[in-house]
Amino acid sequence: MGKIVSIHSFRGGTGKSNTTANLAAQTALVAGKRVGVVDTDIQSPGIHVLFGLDENSMGKTLNDYLYGKCAIREVAYNVGEHADESGGRSQLAGKNLWLIPSSIRGREISRVLREGYDVGRLNEGLQTLISDLELDYLFIDTHPGLNEETLLSIAISDALLIILRPDQQDFQGTAVTVDIARSLDVANLLLMVNKAVPNKYDYVHLKEQIEKAYHAPLTGILPLNFDLADNASKDIFSLAHPDHEWSRELRKVAAAILAVE
Amino acid sequence: MAGVFDRLQAKIKDKQKEGGITALDLADLPPALRKIMRLMLRRLQLSYPQLCAAMEEMPEAERLTRGDLDQALDSLYEQAWLVRLGQGDKAIYKVNLRPKSGSTLASGIWSSLDEKLRK
Repeated sequence: MGKIVSIHSFRGGTGKSNTTANLAAQTALVAGKRVGVVDTDIQSPGIHVLFGLDENSMGKTLNDYLYGKCAIREVAYNVGEHADESGGRSQLAGKNLWLIPSSIRGREISRVLREGYDVGRLNEGLQTLISDLELDYLFIDTHPGLNEETLLSIAISDALLIILRPDQQDFQGTAVTVDIARSLDVANLLLMVNKAVPNKYDYVHLKEQIEKAYHAPLTGILPLNFDLADNASKDIFSLAHPDHEWSRELRKVAAAILAVE
Repeated sequence: MAGVFDRLQAKIKDKQKEGGITALDLADLPPALRKIMRLMLRRLQLSYPQLCAAMEEMPEAERLTRGDLDQALDSLYEQAWLVRLGQGDKAIYKVNLRPKSGSTLASGIWSSLDEKLRK
């Protein structure tokens, strides 16, 4: 059975979608795994941008599936078949990587908010994707904070990666998520620090502090940097800039996920 | 005339309308039941023999006796947290997740928003 890896942060703006896209790409490209990425951030979707999709090229979405308009398989966009001819994403050509995007159309987002949806159908879709696409890994990009789809994704995960910034608000929020994950028996709880101001922290000390506070392994400390901001979601950064410090640290996180039994 | 499959589907839908379990409810279950519910979420459904086999694989301290398991399954079914098809050894169980409820904002607000988004 393929593994489900949920990527979560208690607060927004931690770089969750960017990290998810990069981890998925590394897992498909470097490790040669069959990988799916689901955008369950239905209220504020965004990960499709990193894979080069826009409203016109998107086709069917998770929203169509949730309202019974199509099978989940029809929503899976084959990134490997539509890779760019240049840039970092070009390396994904022929790789087994699928994206299940959420709709970016205002009316479809408002429908989810207005009517709700069948959470059981969402779970069935996720499990069906794993079997239909024979996935080794299904990455779930969640909505920040806690809501139905986030809690469901935590409950069904083999591994949960929580992203936090070195910020007091993030520290407190992460404690809440860690408690909930533990109460739901998540087998592998992993942490990642993103947007750490360079030269401000002693990384060894920060790692010790965080691991002591949450009793979970810190898999990487990724620096805040202008190069990533300049990328502006135009490409998958770790593919476009493999030797960058951010990319090297991200690959450590990917390795920790691949090591999960 | 509705076939057996249609009748079973209708029965499942009726049960689902009655409520369902949330992920937070899962956290409040005893460890053995929580593990079984999580396994059922991953496999989508489990037969009674599969449930018994999963229970056997759990640490002895958490394991439920066959009688306690039967009682727990009945209780979860009665709360509409599980859907059960068939009886006894032939029963198949499925988790009934509570649907995400819609907004409680006045409908006029939504129709006004829809109107604006349509333009």
